[in-house]
Amino acid sequence: MTSRSQNTSYIAVPDKRGNAKVSRETISAVSVAVLCVVILLGSRFISPSLGSWSQVETVLTLGSFLVVLSFGQGLVILSGGLDLSLPALITLGGVLSTAWVGAGNPDALFLLPLVLVGCGLVGSFTAVGVVWLKVPPFIMSMATSIMVASATLGMTNGTTRGAAPELLTDLMKSQIAGVPASILLLLAFVFFGWVLQARSVFGRHVYAVGTNDQAARIAGIPVTLTQFLPYVISAVCAGFVGMMLVGYSNGATLRMGDNYLLPSIAAVVIGGSSILGGRGTFLGTVGGAILLTTLGTVISAIGLNFGLRTIIEGSIILIALLVLRDEFFERLRAFRRP
Amino acid sequence: MLSNTMKMTLAAMSLLAAGTVLAQPAGAQDKKFKIYLSLSYSGNAWQSETANIVKALAATSPYKDMVDLKEVISGTDPQAQISAYESMVDDGADGIISFPISSTALNRTIKRGCDQGVLFFMYDATVTEKCAYNVSYLTTGFGENTAQALVNILGGKGNIFLSRGVPGNSVDKHHTDGAMSVFNKYPGIKVVAEYYSYWDDRTTQQETAKALAAHPDVDGIWSQAGEYGAIQALLDKGGKLVPVTGENSNGFRLALANPEMQAKGLKGVSAGSPPATSGYAFKLMMEVLTKKRDLKAMNIEYPLPWVLAENVKVCAGDRFENGCNAFPESKVPSSFVTEVLDPVMLPELSMESAINGTAVDGAIIQPLPKEVKEAVNAPGINCEKCDAPADAYKPYKIEPIVAN
Repeated sequence: MTSRSQNTSYIAVPDKRGNAKVSRETISAVSVAVLCVVILLGSRFISPSLGSWSQVETVLTLGSFLVVLSFGQGLVILSGGLDLSLPALITLGGVLSTAWVGAGNPDALFLLPLVLVGCGLVGSFTAVGVVWLKVPPFIMSMATSIMVASATLGMTNGTTRGAAPELLTDLMKSQIAGVPASILLLLAFVFFGWVLQARSVFGRHVYAVGTNDQAARIAGIPVTLTQFLPYVISAVCAGFVGMMLVGYSNGATLRMGDNYLLPSIAAVVIGGSSILGGRGTFLGTVGGAILLTTLGTVISAIGLNFGLRTIIEGSIILIALLVLRDEFFERLRAFRRP
Repeated sequence: MLSNTMKMTLAAMSLLAAGTVLAQPAGAQDKKFKIYLSLSYSGNAWQSETANIVKALAATSPYKDMVDLKEVISGTDPQAQISAYESMVDDGADGIISFPISSTALNRTIKRGCDQGVLFFMYDATVTEKCAYNVSYLTTGFGENTAQALVNILGGKGNIFLSRGVPGNSVDKHHTDGAMSVFNKYPGIKVVAEYYSYWDDRTTQQETAKALAAHPDVDGIWSQAGEYGAIQALLDKGGKLVPVTGENSNGFRLALANPEMQAKGLKGVSAGSPPATSGYAFKLMMEVLTKKRDLKAMNIEYPLPWVLAENVKVCAGDRFENGCNAFPESKVPSSFVTEVLDPVMLPELSMESAINGTAVDGAIIQPLPKEVKEAVNAPGINCEKCDAPADAYKPYKIEPIVAN
């Protein structure tokens, strides 16, 4: 017995190495944040006006759309699904808040939440298909997307009438104590999202179901509900992004969501989440979204032609992803421990 | 709304039924023309306005009894439009009026249709196939003229942004080549940022915001469609505005004429792609089909709209009357493209026609002016193996200032 206890390879030793105390997810979230700062500071070499507070403001405002959107996408991915209907729902949220609610509407405060409820219903339609009818998420959300996009086209005849309700322009354009309201909104949303995903019972359930739904069922977790809700939340988030975009640019178009689908997935993956579900943090996703936006801002300032610029952008995203993988940190760890 | 449309359709159908019964002995001339409207996608104000006015004209007397109009939307993929054309030709179309997705990819199919006696009218965008008619403003020099206007406003000196259209698109290239031919003449003009905005307000706003982060000291913006987004990005930044040239969105026109914006430094000109070309092309096609016109020119030019701040005039009603050329904010969204009406070529239409595709009550189709303006050659745009005239890309709307 004594001889065995001296052989350390047989018993668990508390891991005292510094980098093992923090989880992998935290490492990748922090690394993404560091990368953002590095790019921002490094961008001063491209143009002396970059790297200033006003650029940070631009990045945070433009990035806030992607952060809100990828929270929903992140939850769906975490639960083991995928949501391709986001662009259509952004448009739906945007079109309803301009054409149906519109500027100067005294009831905007009550009608805008109704728009979100509508988006949530669309999300539950997707969820019904995925969870009960067992349609693959890719196909189901694509079908929803096509139907919703066509419905908005039919509703508007192609021309989206109306302007942004004042509530939304205030949300995106006003300042509170010298800080843009959009940035305060972003901070509030990030806090809310973090609590929901990382600290609530529902959040824990999503992790469990995304890792192994059979095991989760045996453990007594309401699997169906846990797979259902992310689609609803994701749809509501997308509708809300539509509203934010309406407030930002004072109007809606039928293609306003088109540029956001792939970035929403990219932000989640860059933030350290597994595309297969079960792993990842919202703070990492926030970092991914901000990183993508920062990169876009800086790249557009380089005086190269469009083709070269997009090649550079693609390469940096790829490098970021490779570097932020767990394997990389494992190797780093192995390298430091001869 | 729906029931109204249904009622109207029913009424039209019963009228038609009565008409055909009564007109039967009159013979062949009462046969309805089978016309197809082939679009790219129907997702932005410009595209839907062009389609709507064609529908409105087809529903206006006497065309409403002569035309059977079917609309087909093909998205942004030339292959889809090729197969759409094929089906239309096989269906025995008399005419196809279309926004072509590519200037060359559709040529073979168009040739096949022409050989079977189908009339092809392209609006705004063009094809290089010789047997199709092109009705467009593309040869009117949007790029060089707006660029010259910006240079003149800036006094030949300053840092500018180029807000372009869709990468790889022949129209975007044509406009930008024209603009650069002017900017390159002035050593004081420096293009500090160039970005693609996909002819969309929202994208323009975000891309301009990004460019402003790097170059807050910009002196002017040369923009293709989406220009109102550039102004909003400048406004978001706070402080001063700079001169902006752009296309015909209602928001841009109102901004140009707004004294508050002018005081902040906004100047510019509104020119660019007029949706009215689709209506003009449709009426030309109908006059050819009804043998009222013998149209020799294949490339027909629609004039370039050119509205300076001092010429912006807000319309009281729903039409372009007394020289007005913009609508109040309460009536149309900022992305509404104003140059969809034309008091000379398209007096039958109102703003409602452009938004809903409905005919104006009691309107009757008026004949077009006899003369058409033939467009100059633009290689790759409206002809294949041809040379551009020597003075292509020469601004003519304003007198260029001397480069220093």
